[in-house]
Amino acid sequence: MIVLGKLPCVLIAEDEMIVAMMLEDLMERAGYHVLLVARLARGLELAVSEPIDAAILDINLAGQMSFPLADALQQRRIPFMFASGYGREGLPERHRDAMVLQKPYGMSEIKAALHALLANGGQASL
Amino acid sequence: MTEDLSPPRRPRRKSGAAATTVQAQACAETPPALPHLIVGIGASAGGLEAFRSFFTHMQADSGFSFVLVQHLSPQHVSMLAELVGRNTQMPVCEAIDGARVEPDHVYVIPPDATLTIADGVLHVSKPAPPRQHRWPINTFFTSLAEDRGDCAVCIVLSGTGSDGALGLGAVKEHGGLTLAQSGFDHVAMSGMPASAASTGLVDDILPVEDMPARLITYRKQMHAARGQQGADGIRQDLSDHLQNLFRLLRAEVGHDFSQYKRSTVMRRIQRRMLVRQTETVPDYIKYLRQHPQEHQQLFREMLISVTEFFRDPLAFTALQERVVPALLADRGAADVLRVWVPGCATGEEAYSIAMLLREAIGSQGGPKVQIFATDIDDRGIEAARAGRFRAPLLGVSPERQQRWFSKEGDDYVVVKSLREMCVFSPHSVIKDPPFSRLDLVSCRNLLIYLNADLQERLLQTFHYALKPGAFLLLGPSETLSRSAGLFTELDKKQRLYMRRENTRVGSIPPLPFAERGHAANAGRGMASVARGSDEGINRQVQGLLEKYTPAYVVINANHEVLRFAGDTGRYLSPSTGAASLNVFSLLHKRLREPARAIVRRAFASAETVTRDDLSVDVGSQHQPLRLIAEPLLDKDGSVTMCLLAFSDAPADAATAAAPSASPPPVELARIRALEHELESVYAQLHAAVELHESVNEELKSANEEYQSVNEELQSSNEELETSKEEMQSINEELQIVNAEAHSKNETLTRLNSDLRNLMESTQIATLFLDRDLRIGSYTPAMTELFHLRDGDRGRPITDISARINYPELKQDVPDVLRHLRIVERVLHGAANEPSYLLRMRPYRTVDDVIEGIVLTCVDVSQSLRHEVERGQLAAIVDSSRDAIIGYTPDDAISSWNPGAERIFGYPAAQVLGQSLAMLLPSESSGVTSAIFAAGALAERPQEFETLWQTRDGRQIPVAVTSSLVRNAEQQIIAGSLIARDITERREAERHTRLMLGELNHRVKNTLASIQAIAVQTLARAPSLEAFQDKFLPRLQALSHTHNLLAVDAWQSVSLAALVMGELAPYEDADHPARVQLHGEDRQLAPKIALAMSMALHELTTNALKYGALSLPQGRIEVSWERVTGGAVPWLHLCWQEVGGPLVRAPSSRGFGTRLIADGLAFELDGKVALDFAPTGVRCLIELPLGEPEDPA
Repeated sequence: MIVLGKLPCVLIAEDEMIVAMMLEDLMERAGYHVLLVARLARGLELAVSEPIDAAILDINLAGQMSFPLADALQQRRIPFMFASGYGREGLPERHRDAMVLQKPYGMSEIKAALHALLANGGQASL
Repeated sequence: MTEDLSPPRRPRRKSGAAATTVQAQACAETPPALPHLIVGIGASAGGLEAFRSFFTHMQADSGFSFVLVQHLSPQHVSMLAELVGRNTQMPVCEAIDGARVEPDHVYVIPPDATLTIADGVLHVSKPAPPRQHRWPINTFFTSLAEDRGDCAVCIVLSGTGSDGALGLGAVKEHGGLTLAQSGFDHVAMSGMPASAASTGLVDDILPVEDMPARLITYRKQMHAARGQQGADGIRQDLSDHLQNLFRLLRAEVGHDFSQYKRSTVMRRIQRRMLVRQTETVPDYIKYLRQHPQEHQQLFREMLISVTEFFRDPLAFTALQERVVPALLADRGAADVLRVWVPGCATGEEAYSIAMLLREAIGSQGGPKVQIFATDIDDRGIEAARAGRFRAPLLGVSPERQQRWFSKEGDDYVVVKSLREMCVFSPHSVIKDPPFSRLDLVSCRNLLIYLNADLQERLLQTFHYALKPGAFLLLGPSETLSRSAGLFTELDKKQRLYMRRENTRVGSIPPLPFAERGHAANAGRGMASVARGSDEGINRQVQGLLEKYTPAYVVINANHEVLRFAGDTGRYLSPSTGAASLNVFSLLHKRLREPARAIVRRAFASAETVTRDDLSVDVGSQHQPLRLIAEPLLDKDGSVTMCLLAFSDAPADAATAAAPSASPPPVELARIRALEHELESVYAQLHAAVELHESVNEELKSANEEYQSVNEELQSSNEELETSKEEMQSINEELQIVNAEAHSKNETLTRLNSDLRNLMESTQIATLFLDRDLRIGSYTPAMTELFHLRDGDRGRPITDISARINYPELKQDVPDVLRHLRIVERVLHGAANEPSYLLRMRPYRTVDDVIEGIVLTCVDVSQSLRHEVERGQLAAIVDSSRDAIIGYTPDDAISSWNPGAERIFGYPAAQVLGQSLAMLLPSESSGVTSAIFAAGALAERPQEFETLWQTRDGRQIPVAVTSSLVRNAEQQIIAGSLIARDITERREAERHTRLMLGELNHRVKNTLASIQAIAVQTLARAPSLEAFQDKFLPRLQALSHTHNLLAVDAWQSVSLAALVMGELAPYEDADHPARVQLHGEDRQLAPKIALAMSMALHELTTNALKYGALSLPQGRIEVSWERVTGGAVPWLHLCWQEVGGPLVRAPSSRGFGTRLIADGLAFELDGKVALDFAPTGVRCLIELPLGEPEDPA
């Protein structure tokens, strides 16, 4: 693992523990600092308090939609993308342009997505 | 009698000075000026066009006056005057009461008013009578006719109804001109003109634009004719040709008018000439010869008379009060009351008398009444026979109208009972033999048309025809005149007479025998009176006195000796030959001539006549004789008998008469010679006289024989004549009855053929049975039920083999006959046989007598089949869970099944008849509204889904199937809708959609999890085999949990089942009770269950490899509890391994440990404490229990 100064911090909101663990492993191996949340409330807290560079949001967090979290991130101009089994049609109007990763996704896919997210500030979509 | 009669056609005028002036002005009296004609024009409300057309063609200075009578609405202000005024130069004004009618003026009837004319002055009375009595045209025409006579013209223009027809008759009767409007085809226009034309009294039917010219020609002719007329208004040239005309008429129509009153006849011929527009009489005769139909026209013209019901009501009152009771007295049902109405015209008078009699007799009982009503006018008779009269019925009170007439359309028809009393026949009272044995003759307004001779003959005819003491009613202007001796006056004013009983005049034909018989009777009566006084003292005194009185004989006017008195023997010397009482045959020959002379003188002068210079030979002596003829006067001073007395003349008279001086001898000789000569001549003369007398005697006796034979023949002849007359009368009656019977027979034949056709054509099997079940008539269809043949009529129906099963027939017939009710049965046929609906009802004759039964059978197989099918369909409809709604083409609900009630909540009673739109939600979408838009029935889609509203306001989705019912012509006659409540289906669809989405998501999530497990497992596996050992059980555990979740449709999973699912494989017969569970079983949400199962799998795997399950005696205790108190309840679960090998904490965190210690807490937001205690692994899991919620 190469640490070059401060690692970019990725917030992963995922309530599925196995998936979250896998993502965590993957992100850390790719050189990111990972913040894991399984609940919306916790996510909102972190979104305000932590220096986050990018976020991967599962749409459904133990029954709650993660859109408020997306809103908070948007407000802070933190790029984010959704990762969901629902696909793009589950999104509200205001987040239609957000990047969406369809579950299940490949490891390279998510790495490329995250890379793009960080490079373009979340404006480009896949 | 004729002097006091005004000619019938002269207009009746009111007396008074004004009337005279008008008359003077009106016409007739001033031949140089054109006559002033007043033209009444009638039309109904739509007649404006006709009025306009008329006046467009009428010059303005014609000199006519016009009065327009229109049917106007009482409420409307009439524009008629103004509208007509645009088409003529003449002043047009609304009629004002009291206005004098001026030439070249047009007067218009005001609204809501009755207009009449009298003395040339208009009378307006308001308001008009109520609608049913409003006949403005009739009213005006009638008054016009009465006021203007032949200077009246009436025109009937287009219009509906029949107003004008009666008034037109009045104009015609008074000699005026009558016109009616025709269409382009010269046929009277329907409505008022046609109605007027049907009276036969219209002079001309022509288009309205030709009428003005016709009027002007008419007046010119009239004027020309007037120039040739005398003071009596009759053309002088007419009488010369009258006989000629009569001959023509007699030859053509068979009636002789020569004895009709000349003035009347001439007036009517004159009118015909006017109508035919012929200038001279020869011209008219020529016209008559060329146009045979004109004879009929002239004949009708002669017959014109106006009649109405109860004309001259006072006469009918007199009839009712004085005659009817006498007629009905002592008469029972077996008697016949015979009435004759000669000259009955269209029958009004006959029916009036029938009404009077029927009202007096009452509806039941009383004598049979026969009213013979005759006229020579066969058209009138036809009308009378029809008994159909056009409204209004003048003279009939509303009660009588109600009782004696039935209304058929615009006409009134005489009721049958009245009609049957009257026998109408064409018959000439002048030409044909009369009826006989009559009780009443009502001959009104007929005699006035006849001359005095014919009147007398007619009255004698009536005298003959009437029974003694029977009644005669004449018209108001008719009297008995010369025949006063035949009838007694009962009511002079009303011309009511009674036949005198004592008079016996047989003038039909004149009966000389009766005359003579009467005289003989009188003679015999006289003689018996004389004998009656010859008795007692008188007789003795007379006997004594005879010695002193001269002998005498009493003779009657026929010179027959009635009595001898005294010694008449000396003076008598009866002639040889047949015995005779004739005094001149009895007297001594020398006395015969003198006696004859004085008797004749005595009878003639009614004075005593004597003769002295006679003598009789008594022995050898000449006895002087005085012959005295003394007339015997009866009470009224006429001489009926004569007394012839033989008195001895005084001797001195004889001697005094002798010469006193004797003649000279020469002369004496000469005298003797002369005396001898005289004596011989005398003797010769005597012999000659004797011879002459004997011959005379013979002749006389022969003559007498002839006379008696003649007498006998006369009387026989008379009897024959009488019989013949009676026969003729009876024959006449029979012919009339026969004619009626014939016409009835025709009607019956027609009905019979109608009936037969009905029987042949009807599909309804019908059978007529009498009371004994014998077969009468039957329709062909009946042969399908019974084996009937034509020869079976009259056989009992029970003998006929039936093709139907109807054993109750014998019971039903008496039942029907006894209770007079209708029996209905359905006779069910066997398998393929038809079924019938049998109906049995009593057979009633027209007289309401039950004479059997009528059996009708209708094949109802089809109907029954339909009934069954209908029942099946109805059951389907009733049991259907769908709403099945029938509706009419205008969308009114006509049927409503229980399914509809269930779905929409409305009971059937509440919706039937309502519009389908009631089911639509108030804010229904445009599509639904379009479907139910009016008129779009045919475009209605066959299937559609929509929202409908229930009774409680809910909107429910329905799938509707629409179908239309069409008749044979493909017209839509009804529709039906089947509405299915698809709420559940919609719900299920929504659920399915949701489920599919969810499934997709979940599968992806699951795949993501598996991917993660695979990645994680792979990351830690040293070899592919190791990966396989780890990965597959993990997948199986996951799969197992999925199985458990599927049990309850992913709602929840039992905790115990979850635990046991993982541990059960390690508890077997060799290792009992290795797993102990403590705690009340809990249901876990799927998310919790999935996470928990993965954790439990890792714990179990660990226990199997390193912990309690690695040793046989090792056990695992799992206990849990639900802890409340926080915001949500928590679950505390403890995994405790007991009796396993010594536990050593792992040197590195493996996947399992990480999953249990971090992942579980992370995912479930709980706390997990995993303690690798040496005695056994212990794991405490605390997690919040949300209520089981929708899986994410």
